[in-house]
Amino acid sequence: MEAPQYVAARVQAALAEDRRTHELGIRVDVRGDQLFLRGQVSGAEQRERLGEVAREAAPDLHVHNEINVVEVGRPGEVEHLD
Amino acid sequence: MTELRIAAVGDIHLGEDVRGQYRKSLDGIGDRADILMVAGDLTRHGTLEEGRVVADELRDLPIPVVAVLGNHDYHSDMQHEIASELRDAGVIVLNDDSAVIECDGTRLGVVGGKGFGGGFAGKCASEFGERETKNFVRHTRLIAESWQHALKEIDADRRVVLSHYSPIKETLEGEPLEIYPFLGSYLLAEAVDTAGADLILHGHAHRGTEKGMTSGGIRVRNVALPVLGAAYAVYCLADE
Ligand SMILES: [Fe+2]
Ligand SMILES: [Fe+2]
Repeated sequence: MEAPQYVAARVQAALAEDRRTHELGIRVDVRGDQLFLRGQVSGAEQRERLGEVAREAAPDLHVHNEINVVEVGRPGEVEHLD
Repeated sequence: MTELRIAAVGDIHLGEDVRGQYRKSLDGIGDRADILMVAGDLTRHGTLEEGRVVADELRDLPIPVVAVLGNHDYHSDMQHEIASELRDAGVIVLNDDSAVIECDGTRLGVVGGKGFGGGFAGKCASEFGERETKNFVRHTRLIAESWQHALKEIDADRRVVLSHYSPIKETLEGEPLEIYPFLGSYLLAEAVDTAGADLILHGHAHRGTEKGMTSGGIRVRNVALPVLGAAYAVYCLADE
């Protein structure tokens, strides 16, 4: 059986390299037959695509898509540098 | 005393499916800032189609827009075409060069480009060994040299450096240590410290930290959108 660390690395590479996602900042953890995705993306569609690519890359694992969608509709803080 | 208000964001990673959304969050930016700086990773895959979405989102804003590209914008080898699309939309795109923008009587000099990696002093790659390693480090060194040169040449009241990669470690805090060499290089900070600047803006480290400082005391801000958790931040430089 492939060691869980290698499975996680393979899934992470797929998320980065697959044309549908190209997402580099996602954390992938494997525990037994469960795979967990964590991180932040800017849209719900990107989150779904990441789950899809992960499921294809590790078809034997149960994928838990725990990625957060961050809404960034408003401007942030103002900082005065002096 | 008036202030120069710089809105900044990086890593907006736009694509066709989110067309129009980022633009909405820029409503009213003309009341909040004098200029918008975009620190690279404008697209997801660096395709021309995505580049056009970005150009449309940044087109005809009430304030000048300066941008650099990021590694994602290079992925499809369309970086030159993407830069042209942005320039056609009125965006000033820096590629290891500079621009001086007149903001309310203040001449704001902006120097920058994508930047690159290599790591941080004491824990970095060097120009030694395989051709591939030497090329990697050399790429960063040449970039740093051109920034230093541009900063020295520029005639401006205020100077800001706009990069995609990070010049320091502090603003990477939150990222795994193992990938620091791919997130930035101290050569960038060394160059800016040597020539002097008022502020350095960068993106790329989505899980990093907003605030840091170079060894020379120049303020550094990681403006990656996931770090800010907002459409953009605003940094005010006191007018001289
Ligand atoms: Fe990015
Ligand atoms: Fe990046």
